[in-house]
Amino acid sequence: MSRVITITSGKGGVGKTTSTANLGTALAMQGAKVAVVDADIGLRNLDVVMGLENRIVYDLVDVVEGRCRLRQALIKDKHFSDLFLLPAAQTRDKDAVGPEDMIALANQLRTEFDYVIIDSPAGIEGGFRNAIAGADEVLIITTPEVSAVRDADRIIGLVEAAGKGSPQLIINRIKPRMVNRGDMMSTDDVLQILAIDLIGAIPDDETIVTSTNRGEVAVLDRTSRAGRAFSDVARRIAGEQVPMPTLEDEQGVFDKLFGMLARRPRGSER
Amino acid sequence: MGVLDGLFRRRERSSDIARERLLTVLVHDRVKLTPELLEQLKAELSAVIARYVPTVDPDTIEVTLFRGELIDHLKAEFPLRRQR
Ligand SMILES: Nc1ncnc2c1ncn2[C@@H]1O[C@H](COP(=O)(O)OP(=O)(O)OP(=O)(O)O)[C@@H](O)[C@H]1O
Ligand SMILES: [Mg+2]
Repeated sequence: MSRVITITSGKGGVGKTTSTANLGTALAMQGAKVAVVDADIGLRNLDVVMGLENRIVYDLVDVVEGRCRLRQALIKDKHFSDLFLLPAAQTRDKDAVGPEDMIALANQLRTEFDYVIIDSPAGIEGGFRNAIAGADEVLIITTPEVSAVRDADRIIGLVEAAGKGSPQLIINRIKPRMVNRGDMMSTDDVLQILAIDLIGAIPDDETIVTSTNRGEVAVLDRTSRAGRAFSDVARRIAGEQVPMPTLEDEQGVFDKLFGMLARRPRGSER
Repeated sequence: MGVLDGLFRRRERSSDIARERLLTVLVHDRVKLTPELLEQLKAELSAVIARYVPTVDPDTIEVTLFRGELIDHLKAEFPLRRQR
């Protein structure tokens, strides 16, 4: 049974597009047929994040307005033959499509793919409503910051009011060191406030920037901590029980290790 | 604030401050009580209370929303003028 999952946030710039690209790719790596859809019409980005910008001929609005068939607009990924991108229009605005168009599009994609992952624009207006219209499930992205969490709370209310059930949460850009110092809210702090289920905690990681620079995604890089965290989220989406390592603990283990290393010379003196 | 204050005062964790501020702001967001509505609520409450307790001072009424352990509260306080 195929699933249509929309990734949204309220506040802009918290990692929706990054999450869509990484989760879409990770699900394809697991062997699923995946379509990622850029619903941020007028601010096309998912194509450059996935390094597919040079292959675009048609876009989502062309499909909706009947200028091409869906198949013609779908761009095949560089690495996975079962991963496709439906790009947003760059020169149109959000009013070019409506919720009914998005529902029809989602249902059409559903017949061909296991997962349809939709990258929503920020905000609470038309673009957001379009992006969730065809969704079975919604994932909310937030960072552990006051403004992002506040906006996430607002979005959670709107998603529930739209009859999409309780969304699941990804907390992105966590800095374990800052959390340990008490200078950044922990995943528990954020969860207590938002009171929805957590499906992923992603560290702030420079490999997100370097991989995006190249038009690759972090899940392809086994050394990327953020990439591994996104792969874990994809496995949880697929229904696997993957333990949620608290990033703060990871840091703690690291510190303990350092403590042990520092003590060892004395211990080995005898 | 003196330099010594800065040195000796234990710094409050900024993550705790963030959490507290968020909890407060979200109670207001969720209840959808704007500052104007809150003023209107105070005015109407004071009119009702004054009918029963004439010594209530309408200017000192305080209505606050705050977050409790399990439920959120709307708390109203009506200070009375002392009389003999
Ligand atoms: N875990 C992370 N570590 C480091 N940088 C990150 C991380 N996640 C996202 N970023 C960076 O944050 C920026 C915003 O990310 P992204 O474009 O995915 O956000 P968005 O929510 O889609 O933004 P918009 O609301 O504009 O669509 C990008 O520069 C991205 O590289
Ligand atoms: Mg985006």
